[in-house]
Amino acid sequence: MMQRLMSLLCLLVCSSAAMAQDKGWEQTLAAAKKEGSVVVVGSPDPVMRSDIIPKFTARYGIPVEFLAGRSSEIAQRLRTERGAGIYSVDVFLSGPDTTATVYYAEKMLDPLKPLLALPEVTDGGKWKKGKPWFVDPEERYVLRPFSSVSSLLFINTDFVKQSEIRSAKDLLNPKWRGKISTEDITTTGAGANLAARFYQQLGADFVKKLYIDQKTVGTRERRQFTDWLARGTQPICLNCREDDVRPLEKEGFKLQEIFELSDVAPGINGSPWMLSVANRGPHPNAAKVFVNWIAGKEGLEIYARGYGSATLRTDIDESYLSAGNVPKANVKYFDDTDWNWIVTGRHDYREKVWKLMKEAKK
Amino acid sequence: MTTIAMPAAPAVKVHRFRLAEYGALLFFAVVMGLPVAFLVLSSFNIAPPSKPAVYGLDNWARAFSDPGTLSALWMSFLLSITYLIPGMILSIAVAWLIARTDMPGRGAIEFCCWFAYFVPDFPMVLAWILLLDPNFGFLNTAARALPFVQGPLFNPYSFWGIVWVHLSTGGIWFKVMLLTPIFRRIGATLEEAARVAGANYFTVLRRVSLPVIMPAVLAVAALSFIRGLESFNTELLLGTPVGIYVYATRIYDYTRHEPSAYGEATALGSVFLVVLAILAYFYQRRLKGKRFTVVTGQGYSTLRVKLGKLKYVAFAACAAYIAIMMFLPLGFLILGSVMRRYGFFHLREPFSLIHWQNLFGDPIFFLALKNSLVIAAITAVAAVALYSTVGYLLASRKIKTAPMLEMLTWMPWVVPGILMSLGLLWLFLATPARSVLYGSVLGIALALTIKESPVCSQAFKSAFLQLGPDLEEAARVSGASWSYTYRRVLVPLVAPVAATVGLISFGNALTSISTPVLLYSPRSRPLAILLMEYSFSGEVERAAALGLLITAMVSVMMLVGRKFVRPLTGNL
Repeated sequence: MMQRLMSLLCLLVCSSAAMAQDKGWEQTLAAAKKEGSVVVVGSPDPVMRSDIIPKFTARYGIPVEFLAGRSSEIAQRLRTERGAGIYSVDVFLSGPDTTATVYYAEKMLDPLKPLLALPEVTDGGKWKKGKPWFVDPEERYVLRPFSSVSSLLFINTDFVKQSEIRSAKDLLNPKWRGKISTEDITTTGAGANLAARFYQQLGADFVKKLYIDQKTVGTRERRQFTDWLARGTQPICLNCREDDVRPLEKEGFKLQEIFELSDVAPGINGSPWMLSVANRGPHPNAAKVFVNWIAGKEGLEIYARGYGSATLRTDIDESYLSAGNVPKANVKYFDDTDWNWIVTGRHDYREKVWKLMKEAKK
Repeated sequence: MTTIAMPAAPAVKVHRFRLAEYGALLFFAVVMGLPVAFLVLSSFNIAPPSKPAVYGLDNWARAFSDPGTLSALWMSFLLSITYLIPGMILSIAVAWLIARTDMPGRGAIEFCCWFAYFVPDFPMVLAWILLLDPNFGFLNTAARALPFVQGPLFNPYSFWGIVWVHLSTGGIWFKVMLLTPIFRRIGATLEEAARVAGANYFTVLRRVSLPVIMPAVLAVAALSFIRGLESFNTELLLGTPVGIYVYATRIYDYTRHEPSAYGEATALGSVFLVVLAILAYFYQRRLKGKRFTVVTGQGYSTLRVKLGKLKYVAFAACAAYIAIMMFLPLGFLILGSVMRRYGFFHLREPFSLIHWQNLFGDPIFFLALKNSLVIAAITAVAAVALYSTVGYLLASRKIKTAPMLEMLTWMPWVVPGILMSLGLLWLFLATPARSVLYGSVLGIALALTIKESPVCSQAFKSAFLQLGPDLEEAARVSGASWSYTYRRVLVPLVAPVAATVGLISFGNALTSISTPVLLYSPRSRPLAILLMEYSFSGEVERAAALGLLITAMVSVMMLVGRKFVRPLTGNL
């Protein structure tokens, strides 16, 4: 009897809490619609323009004003705006570096954790880590919704057999001199980041041998090294992106993503973005609606399918991914978007790489 | 009554003239001097972003102590000079042929130069890679079929490859556009006199036509040289793979560092200020004490130089240059926009209209199109109105502050585009009109008008220098006010230059990325920003389609402009 009463009481409390929560959410929605729009900063990828914005607007009737561009330029713009007392942005879908070293470091963010209100977002069971993963030191500003195994390189198997590249040291074979492309490592970006990782795991000598002695061919234009990979001009590509390579694979090019090398720890990363909210944003309610939707199943799945990355949610069918992209439970990965690595470790190793390059050129 | 009224009139006119002079000086000091001053001051701020300012020389020391900086600067000078010299020679010849001779098809040649100028350079460089790449380039593959050719004949990834591609993308087009209307203003009297005295065509051009348009030639050379120093798109694609870095690339690198290093970037950009000061010195020295008047009230002949049979040779040479440098890569660019993947001819079903469909299907395309047309129209009108006055003031011998005003008009090109955009962002936010200017199409149009200052001011100045003072004096003696004289006598005489300035401003407003990049909002996003987003996300084909669309829009405007200007200029 007592047990029944307790169950009934519990049910009553839970349902009244749910009703209150529903009411609260309805109020947020109404206020969000009154605000008229939500301003989102992000990378100019087609998924955002063609899928996310129309879907969100259709679902909630709130237009998304999307500000896209190079993160360093947007960061500088926001600094100047804020210096003049203008706060124009609500939500950031930004890369790990900009999030950690600019938006968080310069205190442009409000805590995101209290804004996550929908059960499908806050329920720990919906997340692979048992809860939404806040990666900042206070664990409440920056949500990491993605974690995919990152490729170490791509090869064109018409020119390079997979058995020829079993370890990173195989890249030093004179046969591959002038046949390896990389994003230019002399400036910040994916090229320098990978070189920093090689430096940390394999040492300065390996970096010198790979980037100087092997005469790797550098470019800043990602389309250029993807085309080189497909044509076989440089059939080994260190920084090609999966979303660029996938269309070529569909065309029949024999391109292969290499996730593991025997002498380099396999890696994961949080691409394409981390989620955070701007402080003093002009549309706080619309921002709340947007972050709950984009961190929920629908929003995250649309982005993940369009971009081709693995999410940290448990309720998204990942059959659209290649098996290599999904992190395995029993493998220890090097996390390329680990907060400390971004803020200090990678920065220091990148500086070492640049110093090494300058000395080698002398 | 008459004797009392006559002396009073000039006093009022002089007063208005001074008002215009000091008004222009104040305006330019604010909109051009202040952003640059802000940037220079910021370059000494060594505090981390968003922290209270601390001033020192660290940014400057860091920027210039890098051993790569000097070699990049040297490479920039070398490249800029190497393609400036043939570019200037060719453009003077082509502009003279178009404007001063009876060469057949001169209208078509001029149209092609205009068209070529507005074709976006990024896909054009990709087109040259498809043509010249040592491994898969179309021309190298074709050349290998010849019995005596062993290896690749061409290599775009080299110093000379970069020079070649620059001659195609920046090339002679911009220079021809500016020089042609100036050549048109030369009366035939001087050339006829030279011909009667026994001079051949080359001597006429070298000893008569060229010296009288020397202010324009020097201005165009200086503009091209500065543009050459600031160029880095071509070098990024063709130079980086072989380790050729230019100075502008170093500045670009500092702006995209995370966290960004605008202080170092501005420190490096200050070198342009020094270059400008040197150029200004030589410009003034070369022109000091000389007159370049060719349009006077004493009869004016527009007869063209008759080339005889050589006119066909001249046309063939111009057509060949345009065919190789423009139509060849343009053909690949057009193909690229209708290919599933740019340059991959061996795919199954390589051609498709999907990128054009995707372009028109982009939810923000039509808003961006509307924004671009509004911005470009405002910029064109504002540039003609503002810089015709500035050009008049600079050409006038009565102005006391000419060197200062001239220096200020060059400011927008002294700092690289992205830095100028940052300076303007700061300026807009610091003014009470920020709600009107910031993030609006009006603000972007104002920024673009300011950015085009060097070209527009110099073009109008060169045109006004050609007009004799007797035209103005005759109008005044007839009782016309200064403003009436300016509108009804002087402006119609510089109408071809006004049309050129209007169209250049219109076209540049459609294609400029670096100026609006920090100033647009999602509601005022122009097509050029959309183009940048496509390029940034690797959608080269959609970027090519949009680039072609923008070029087509400018071409339509050009045809409309020519139709509009012709009645004003007679048969010129």
